[in-house]
Amino acid sequence: MTTLPTEAAAPVVPVTEPPAPRPPKKPRLIGTTAWYATALFICAVMVVPLLWMITIGLKSRTAVFDIPPKLLPTEWTWSNFVNGPEAIHFPRLLLNSTVITALSVLGGVLTAMMAGYALARLRFPGRKLWFYLFVGSMLLPGVVGLIPLFQLYKNIGWYDTWLPLIVPAFLGGNPLFIFLARQYFLAIPYSIDEAAKIDGAGHFRIFTQVMLPLTRPAWITMAILAFQASWNDFLNPLVYLYSSEKWPLSVGMASFISAFAGQTPDWSYYMATNLLYMLPPLIVFFAAQRYFIQGLGALGSTNQK
Amino acid sequence: MSRNAGSDVKAAYLFIAPAIIGFTVFVVYPLIRSFYLSLTRYNGLTDPVFVGLGNFRRLFTVDPAFWPSLRATGYLVLLYVPLSLVLGLALAMFCNQRFAGVRLVRTLAYLPVVLPAIATITLWKFIMNPQVGLLNTILERLHLPTSLWLQSPAMSMPSVVLVMLWGVGGTMIIFLAALQAVPTELYEAARVDGAGSASVFFRITLPMISPIMLLQVILQTTAALQTFNQPKILTNGGPGFSTNVLMLSIYNNGFPNLGRIPQLGYASAQVWVLFILIIAVIALTAKFTSLWTYSDNTPD
Repeated sequence: MTTLPTEAAAPVVPVTEPPAPRPPKKPRLIGTTAWYATALFICAVMVVPLLWMITIGLKSRTAVFDIPPKLLPTEWTWSNFVNGPEAIHFPRLLLNSTVITALSVLGGVLTAMMAGYALARLRFPGRKLWFYLFVGSMLLPGVVGLIPLFQLYKNIGWYDTWLPLIVPAFLGGNPLFIFLARQYFLAIPYSIDEAAKIDGAGHFRIFTQVMLPLTRPAWITMAILAFQASWNDFLNPLVYLYSSEKWPLSVGMASFISAFAGQTPDWSYYMATNLLYMLPPLIVFFAAQRYFIQGLGALGSTNQK
Repeated sequence: MSRNAGSDVKAAYLFIAPAIIGFTVFVVYPLIRSFYLSLTRYNGLTDPVFVGLGNFRRLFTVDPAFWPSLRATGYLVLLYVPLSLVLGLALAMFCNQRFAGVRLVRTLAYLPVVLPAIATITLWKFIMNPQVGLLNTILERLHLPTSLWLQSPAMSMPSVVLVMLWGVGGTMIIFLAALQAVPTELYEAARVDGAGSASVFFRITLPMISPIMLLQVILQTTAALQTFNQPKILTNGGPGFSTNVLMLSIYNNGFPNLGRIPQLGYASAQVWVLFILIIAVIALTAKFTSLWTYSDNTPD
């Protein structure tokens, strides 16, 4: 009986494994019950905080502090979903985040694909050296760059602009992406380039018209990872952006809850807005779930060459 | 052919140029510059003044906040990394079984990883509110002891780690991929030989996933050493210095609140302490690799 509800939900997720039948051995009823009890517990730990967040988002501003706390709101305050976002200028922050994220995804994926193409498919002196340098730089902690780059941006007038958040992406951005791109390009048969070359295509045309369509899974995976990294980034915008009207959502949301001058933050406003902040990554996740898993599988196997 | 090869070189450097510029500006330059700054006194406005190892001397012998921050960082790493690996592997093995609905469990376990870090951290700050938070509400209903969580000096770091562990689904997914790559024949052979589940785990599963395990030890330790978001938002280093990890200390020295003078040279020295710690972790893990990881002997 316990299996029924989840059984119905399962097929929504794309099938990734062979549908091997469960071995029809002795009925392991106790094992099954224990498994589902544990599964229920895991799901609760992951989902209950989010459900609770939604109920807080629906409570009135004072009901949040009722003692003892009630699990469900007594009056459902839908207006929090309007007033909350208004209180932190959500539309502006959303626009900022969207522009920053879109540009850094574009730059990060494009330049990593270009570098990966050169490293995997073109012969040139220094190709091994550059590959090792890029891979090695993955180990460099980001914090090493923080202070020198902060000063650099200040000196060239980029402080308090979006450029420090976007331009690095257009300059190779994430070495991990270069690595992933190279691995993917290596797996494509060379006869394809040869055929295109015979047809008179140059490297630019081979890259844009032959390689990009063939490597779709790779760059979609990278785009998702880049989207997540940029959307979630907190430290960089915190350091490089001073004016609140230029902040992305991450910094705006964090400033929402830091109590200014002893003021208590508005938790119900906050939770309602937080839900909106979570929505874009959630939508991306459910729309492109298999790329998430693929990308992380690739991360997991990075040491296997 | 040689003409062709020449055009290859030109094209290659065109394609790779952005990455090379980026490597120079964002890796080589900061590395050299930050090392130089660590040997200076520098407020970001006037020119840096060379002080030799003065910053490091001040760190290790004078600064009352440095050793606590090192201790807090070590505590966080030692608490978080083993728990994350054990729970991640347990969750992966749990989700690697064939039950109806297992995909739903897997998806939900991964859900917190997808959500923006700031969104989940701030949510947990409220969940851990001692008076009205969800955690104490549930514990009270179950008649279990409650806690001050982030507000208690003893519980603050475990609470921060608890929040980080909510994202254990990220570790799970990687171990799941590793588990699924283990050839099933090995398990079948073990079953034929009548091996118990404990010996299957220790003699097959663990050795087979040891390369991934090693990589995870390195990646998670280096990431944990650089933890910033959670302590910054949950506790801002408090109460006392209990969660004032190295990254937070670097941030506060280098980018202080308005009205205080940035100590960029001093913060750079702290960055280098952190950097050396990270290199040490990688070197040590790599040194012990041959002792406990499985390799299928394919040198290349």
